[in-house]
Amino acid sequence: MNSVLIPAAMLIPVIFALAVAIMPAEKARGTALLGMLLGAVPVLGLLFLFDYQNAAAFQFAGSVDWIPEFGLRLSLGIDSVALLLIALTALLGPICVLGSWTAIVERQRLFYSWLLILQTAMLGVFAARDLVVFYICFEFTLLPMFILIGVFGSTNRKIASIKFFLYTFTGSLIALAGLVYVAWYAAGHYGHWTLDIGDLASAARTMSPTQQGWVLAGMLAGFAVKVPLFPLHTWLPLAHTEAPTAGSVILAGVLLKLGTYGIYRFVLGFVPMAVAEHAPMLAVLSIIGIVYAGLICWVQTDVKKLIAYSSVSHLGFCVLGLVAVNATGLSGSILYMLNHGLSTGALFLMIGFMYERYHTRDMGQLGGLASKMPVWSSFMVFFVLASVGLPGLNGFVSEFLCLIGAFQSSSSLVAAGHPGATPGALGPWYAFFAGTGMVVAAMYLLIMVGRVVWGKLVEPHEHHHDDDGSHLPPDLTAREVTALIPLALGCLVFGLWPQPLLGAIEAPVNVAIRSFEFEAPQPTPHPEHAQADAHVGEVAP
Amino acid sequence: MLELAQSAFPQPMAGVTLAHYLVLSGAMFTLGLVGFITRRNLIIMFLCTELMFQAAGLALIAFSRYHLNLDGQTFVIFVLTVAAAEAAMALALVVLLFRRRESLSSEEWADLKG
Amino acid sequence: MLDTGHMLLTLASDAPAGAAPWWVMLIPALPMVGVVLCTLFAIMGVKSKLPAFATVGCLGLACVLAFAMLLGSDDAPGVVKAWQWFDISWGEGHGQTFSAIFGFYIDRLTILWMLFVTGLATLIGLYASEYMSHDQGQGYCRFFMAFNLFVFSMSCLVMGANMLMLYLGWEGVGLCSYLLIGYFYKKPSAVAAGKKAFIVNRIGDLGLALGVYLTFVHFGTIEYAELFASDQLQGYLTDAAHGHFEHIPAAAQMIPLLLMVGAFGKSAQLPLYVWLPDAMEGPTPVSALIHAATMVTAGVYLVARAYPLFQVSEYALPAVAWIGALTAFLAATIGMAQFDIKRIMAYSTVSQLGYMFAGLGVMTSIGAAAHVFTHAFFKALLFLCCGAVMHGFAGQLDLRKLSGVAKMKGWGIVGITMLIGCLNLVGFPVITSGYWSKDMILAEAFVRPSTGLVGWLLLITAGLTAYYTFRVFFRVFVGPVEYHPGEELHAHDDHAAGHGHSHDHGHAGYDHSHSPEPAHDSAHDEAHGHFHPHAPGWAINTVLVILAALTFVAIPLVALNHGGWVGEMVHGSTAHYEAAHAGGGSHGSVWLVGLDPHQVMYYISAVVGLAGIAVAWALHYRGRREAAHAPAAEAFKRVAGPLQRWAEHKWYVDELYDFLFRNPLWVLSQVFRYIDMLLVDGLVNTAGWLPSALGGRLRRGQHGLLQGYAGSMAGGLALFVVVVLLLVSRSA
Repeated sequence: MNSVLIPAAMLIPVIFALAVAIMPAEKARGTALLGMLLGAVPVLGLLFLFDYQNAAAFQFAGSVDWIPEFGLRLSLGIDSVALLLIALTALLGPICVLGSWTAIVERQRLFYSWLLILQTAMLGVFAARDLVVFYICFEFTLLPMFILIGVFGSTNRKIASIKFFLYTFTGSLIALAGLVYVAWYAAGHYGHWTLDIGDLASAARTMSPTQQGWVLAGMLAGFAVKVPLFPLHTWLPLAHTEAPTAGSVILAGVLLKLGTYGIYRFVLGFVPMAVAEHAPMLAVLSIIGIVYAGLICWVQTDVKKLIAYSSVSHLGFCVLGLVAVNATGLSGSILYMLNHGLSTGALFLMIGFMYERYHTRDMGQLGGLASKMPVWSSFMVFFVLASVGLPGLNGFVSEFLCLIGAFQSSSSLVAAGHPGATPGALGPWYAFFAGTGMVVAAMYLLIMVGRVVWGKLVEPHEHHHDDDGSHLPPDLTAREVTALIPLALGCLVFGLWPQPLLGAIEAPVNVAIRSFEFEAPQPTPHPEHAQADAHVGEVAP
Repeated sequence: MLELAQSAFPQPMAGVTLAHYLVLSGAMFTLGLVGFITRRNLIIMFLCTELMFQAAGLALIAFSRYHLNLDGQTFVIFVLTVAAAEAAMALALVVLLFRRRESLSSEEWADLKG
Repeated sequence: MLDTGHMLLTLASDAPAGAAPWWVMLIPALPMVGVVLCTLFAIMGVKSKLPAFATVGCLGLACVLAFAMLLGSDDAPGVVKAWQWFDISWGEGHGQTFSAIFGFYIDRLTILWMLFVTGLATLIGLYASEYMSHDQGQGYCRFFMAFNLFVFSMSCLVMGANMLMLYLGWEGVGLCSYLLIGYFYKKPSAVAAGKKAFIVNRIGDLGLALGVYLTFVHFGTIEYAELFASDQLQGYLTDAAHGHFEHIPAAAQMIPLLLMVGAFGKSAQLPLYVWLPDAMEGPTPVSALIHAATMVTAGVYLVARAYPLFQVSEYALPAVAWIGALTAFLAATIGMAQFDIKRIMAYSTVSQLGYMFAGLGVMTSIGAAAHVFTHAFFKALLFLCCGAVMHGFAGQLDLRKLSGVAKMKGWGIVGITMLIGCLNLVGFPVITSGYWSKDMILAEAFVRPSTGLVGWLLLITAGLTAYYTFRVFFRVFVGPVEYHPGEELHAHDDHAAGHGHSHDHGHAGYDHSHSPEPAHDSAHDEAHGHFHPHAPGWAINTVLVILAALTFVAIPLVALNHGGWVGEMVHGSTAHYEAAHAGGGSHGSVWLVGLDPHQVMYYISAVVGLAGIAVAWALHYRGRREAAHAPAAEAFKRVAGPLQRWAEHKWYVDELYDFLFRNPLWVLSQVFRYIDMLLVDGLVNTAGWLPSALGGRLRRGQHGLLQGYAGSMAGGLALFVVVVLLLVSRSA
């Protein structure tokens, strides 16, 4: 009975997408909102019926044979990590429709249909228990987003959508090669084809370190582009700048998380030995991303581009937490996926609202909006603070945990007898350099707020409220505030009381880190060193 | 077995071997190909493709008889059917194309050039 | 010389923590109620003083509860938990955990701090109700919302049960400071100052965060109750007491060095002090409460709270002492050369905070706490007096443009309370609380052998403090009566006359600065012509008198019997430190110019202070005929040469930081931006361009001619046949 919930959550948006497509254009947005809200109902059911005592198990599971000769099954099921990400997706869906309510005036049916289809694809990624289902949904998210950017974006939309599509698609193809290799290896391992993710993971862990290294490289090519990890990030600012508001919200809120979720589920799950070996390199890339993208934010003039680069910087923390491979780091990273979705999603929404009124995002042409839009400004400052990682708001919880995870994750600290340390290849210096990202984040975000929100009121020269045709009041409308309030509440509640989330993901996180309890290649004395020591021994009287 | 199979086929003409059929088929195909490549008139080009089709059909029937196997003939019937449908389509298209450019030259149509 | 190994360190709070009563949670909860109320008022568009009264009510109740906490306190610290904040466990049987409660740890240090935080917040809230009245219906709700939020954050900082709660409060007060400094958000300098405060504090916060991480990694817990009672820490303390620092792991010794960075950021010490003077852009009540009395003492609180951790490091406390003393001295030199009276007070705050740190560094946590306590009252008083002047003279703060204020009608109370504040700051002998608390630090600084120079530095600073404090007093409050109003009156003037006190500060200034129409200018001059200063109203005067009285009340609290009541409060907390000399010799073992510092310091510091006042009198009062010129001081200025100019430009520290950090970083950012555009994205674009360039070559083959395609098809087929034939013949 419960197993219909996931398919229901996935099917409702598709059905409504078809309905929107054949409906009169003026009813499209209402229908889309209804579809998103109805689609969220089964997700609420999932949240309530989920057995949190058994959070690592895949629940609401159901599967249908598809091509049994190749072990191909349509199988769905979620653990608590997937559950939370599904909840985030379901939350952002209606908010995106509300955020696009007046922004999309032409070809509404096209827009809302694809938005609904995108919703299904994203849910499918998180709910998939079968590699092929996962991959199909993972790739299928590209198409709606390609259309949302390419048709509804701003001036450079064509280049942006093509770059977005080709870049991530190329990466995903390489990831597919890695995944197919794992499947092929698993077929040999079990003697029959299987594409069940759990089975594949157990088989993949028996691969040799060299094999794991190659698989790691392949999978990272796909997931790191999606995250995006430095230096594979350049598609993101472009895509964000050109995308319509809803596209940016979904892109930052959920699509980027497909990358980190992929790393969590596949990279950490499949090739722990390779991760342990290459963790320092990945951590260094994340840290470069954190600082580098943060500094670039500082010199941006386009607000949306600034937030886009800040995503690159923020997601660096997320990857850092993942490669720390300890409970704090992983918990922090998973929470980061949620929290970044809430706060950055909200920031893109805020910028969308501003853009609808002023038709510019250039900080040179805008300023001091606090005196004209106090409600907007209050929300803006609030979400910026959540994004800065102010304690008491959600960003802090995850950032803090990721950093402490990186700090703890040091085998040499364990060897030195520190009770709070965990085995790993990072350490205090990683936390320090990543921590400078906190300072940089405060710098660029507050400078942005200082220009856009505070200061003397500056409006674009050609701006006349009477003839811009949008009929929007100067400050936020009730509809816009409605869209923001769930996000703001989420930021506040999960900042002060993250324990329900932490408790929910504790079991899967512990399962994930248990796969790292192999005979780690101890820092045994290097052969040459041993030899040298022996020499010393001989020479010494 | 063989007798039974042969009984389904009429007796061959005396002195005409498989090679004769194949040569004829090859000649027809070559004529069609050369015609297709050298001519510019869309209708002629279409007729040339038909010629090549029939050449292939002839070869199939010859082989079918040679191997005492009905598959080849089955295929030819398919090909003829499809060719008939195709002729209807193609001629309609040619008429449409002619209406657009008032010409039957294939060189008028190079919209898909790179 | 005294060997540290001969000291015995004991920790009073190693008694297991009990349960604190549930109602202490109301102390942070009440300001939060205030936040919610003010937000609701803002949404409802309340235009009355309701937010102020709600604030004063909530904070007053919190203050009452803080007193109740004092009455109900016993020796053992108490913990009360609101809810579990973090709890992550892993390892065998989930044996390892990272956990933090959202709860509060109450010991006497907490109570001491909460008493003056809530008390001053209530008083200053009352003051602000009048001071901010010009903004009623506009920023009034916003102001009091941030005000309440500040008290909430400060409560979390001080009362938090673990380092994470401290961190929550730490950044929370930073946020409120940011919001309140930038309260006049249309003024670019205020926005910039708020930003600077937050960012500089963030640098300190990074140190604090790393310190918290290291504490967790090393001790396995960040709950105070567990941390301070842990055998591990007690073991270290025993080692430290015997001077065996080599037995203590380097990691443990690193912790205080990291925490220190955070403390220096929040408490505006070298090298992170630069934000505090700029923070004076905020409304004066904010400067008084946040940037003088409470928030900036958070760093002192942190060191005091984590005092046991600081003692396990050989270098931490001496470093604290040196940084404190250097900051005290540097800030005093800058303060001597400034003209803006509020900035002078800001530098004096930095300088006095330096004293507190020096006090902690030379191991008189009682002296430091006592100075925090007395400083809170007299510095709040000084700021509020400056605020009254600013309020009355349309934002005028330049000491060259005001003179003889105390003699004007209605300004008597301000003049007298200002004098009391100044005397406290100087440490006027016997009758001021500042004297007693400062002396404890000074005397102890001479006792510590390893930090002897610190004592001299602090003593010199005491003289400088006396000079710059009374420079303000002699210039502004006494002397010939003369005033030039600031830039903030204009249109508000008529309106204000009815109320007596309803305009003020930087707010109005920007309104006019960017509309320089001739007509307006003449109005401007006219306004100058018949400007009348507005003497402060009842709320301001009441608060000033109460604060002045409190500075006297504080004397017995800090003076009697080795730190008095404050000493007792510190005694029962983690900041407690007792040095007993193994040789049995009392403090008399170290001598200052042949005398026992504890005895003689009372006289020396009195003399130094009086000398400073005398110099100020000679330079700035004697023979001064007008506000702008003091002949003696100008003569002296010529002698001082470039030193004076450098001090006036704050030793060019801001410029130096810009040169060393901000500008290179900015250049680096630009470089990164272009690297990103050209190199990183360029590679991607090249990867995208290559296939299309190749395609451009190949496209010529696609000429669009049907015959051509057919020909190549036929050719391809022929080629294929030839190849197959060749292969077949080869294999045959």
